Amino acid sequence: MKLKTVFFILMLLACRSLHAQDLWNLLDSAQAPVKEFTVATFKTTRLIDQHTLETVGKNTLDFRISHRFGPLNSRSINAWGIDGPVDIRLGLEYSPDGRFMFGIGRTSVEKMVDGFLKYRLLRQSTHGGSPLSITLFASAYRTGLKDNNTAAQGYDKYKPETNRWSYAYEIMIGRKFSPAFSFQIAPWFVHYNLVELITDKNDAYGVACVTRLKFTKRMAITFEYAYRINEYSKAKYYDSMGIGWEIETGGHVFQVHFINSFGLVENQFLAHTDTKWNNAGIRLGFNVSRVFTL
Amino acid sequence: MKKYLLIPAIIIATFLAGNAQVYMAKEADISFFSASVIENIEAHNHACKPVMNVATQEVLFKVPITSFNFSSALMQEHFNENYMESEKFPFSTFAGKIDEKIDFSKDGCYKATVTGMMMMHGVSKKITATGTVTVSGSQIILKSVFKIHIADFNIEVPALYVQTIAEDIEIHVDATLAPYVKS
Repeated sequence: MKLKTVFFILMLLACRSLHAQDLWNLLDSAQAPVKEFTVATFKTTRLIDQHTLETVGKNTLDFRISHRFGPLNSRSINAWGIDGPVDIRLGLEYSPDGRFMFGIGRTSVEKMVDGFLKYRLLRQSTHGGSPLSITLFASAYRTGLKDNNTAAQGYDKYKPETNRWSYAYEIMIGRKFSPAFSFQIAPWFVHYNLVELITDKNDAYGVACVTRLKFTKRMAITFEYAYRINEYSKAKYYDSMGIGWEIETGGHVFQVHFINSFGLVENQFLAHTDTKWNNAGIRLGFNVSRVFTL
Repeated sequence: MKKYLLIPAIIIATFLAGNAQVYMAKEADISFFSASVIENIEAHNHACKPVMNVATQEVLFKVPITSFNFSSALMQEHFNENYMESEKFPFSTFAGKIDEKIDFSKDGCYKATVTGMMMMHGVSKKITATGTVTVSGSQIILKSVFKIHIADFNIEVPALYVQTIAEDIEIHVDATLAPYVKS
């Protein structure tokens, strides 16, 4: 009899706990998991020189300052490149909806003005959504240089105006594998309306990869490499490679890095990087991003 | 022998009685507010559907963290990435009981307190919140405003932002519940 009572009480208890569990199940069924887009695959729209698949948030304006010093191998007399020559790009970039963005900027090297469009075609998401993100990128560049040899040559190489222009396109495919690790691969294509040598080709293409490894909530190590596929020039150019450190402080993101490219826009660093890592042709650089919600 | 019959009878009865007394949110707004000298931070969540068992006066909340909407996209990113770590801790839950006995058969606005376990950012803590329970026809409206101390939930605020983010966050709950009908 005693055993039966215990059993009875146990059953009652089981009922009760089952009941609470039922309530949880009910809640879970009513609250079907919603598809969420993965946020912050990368911290900003650039890693070092390369674009990342990120766009800025909705109604957000991003003011960017990118700066590169001279090469380390310019020795102590030049403070290992700190004395310059330096390259700086100032950019203003905006997105009305967090998915499509556009920006303009000016780079001191080659007096280059650029304008770009970027669109997040596919966004990585949870619960049966896409495992990858795909972002399309298109950009145009206009150099403001003067042709110093006009008198000697008898013509101005920047006439007609179209000779000043070049273009770049990229398809960025990436994934945030874990909160700490993101990777992106991007086929790229650059077209120059005007090239320096008669043997140069107008088109260059290749594949770039960028990756980020977060080691604290606000700091990350970054790495990027742009591989060139076709032979587009007899001049000595190298693949662009950079390694950096990224720190985020609220509205600002600071990126400090070493990279062999001097140029700051795609038509410069993807195909026209002319210093190499082997002989310390690398330089210190930093990017600062400050966003404003409009 | 009768006792053996009684057990399944009780089980079935509890189930039947249980389901009839379950209320579920038609709409709910869970929001929080952080007031500081530098800026005010506010976010709303409409993805949470609390349930309540009026017989036992139990209430359950399960709030998906990524569904908090901020006015600034960057703030939302920081909230998920740096503070709540929502990939690691996707939900906050509250399982509690209304302390006072409330007569759900009579319309009216009752002052009430609720006590239970709140789980957030992987930390469970017993909390008590005050608010009102309004019974109006077949609807029950739950309202509460309470404060939590974010340090209690292991949420670190870097020294640089101590002035921007309040130490105590005010949480507002406003949910309208209706009897649950199995569809």
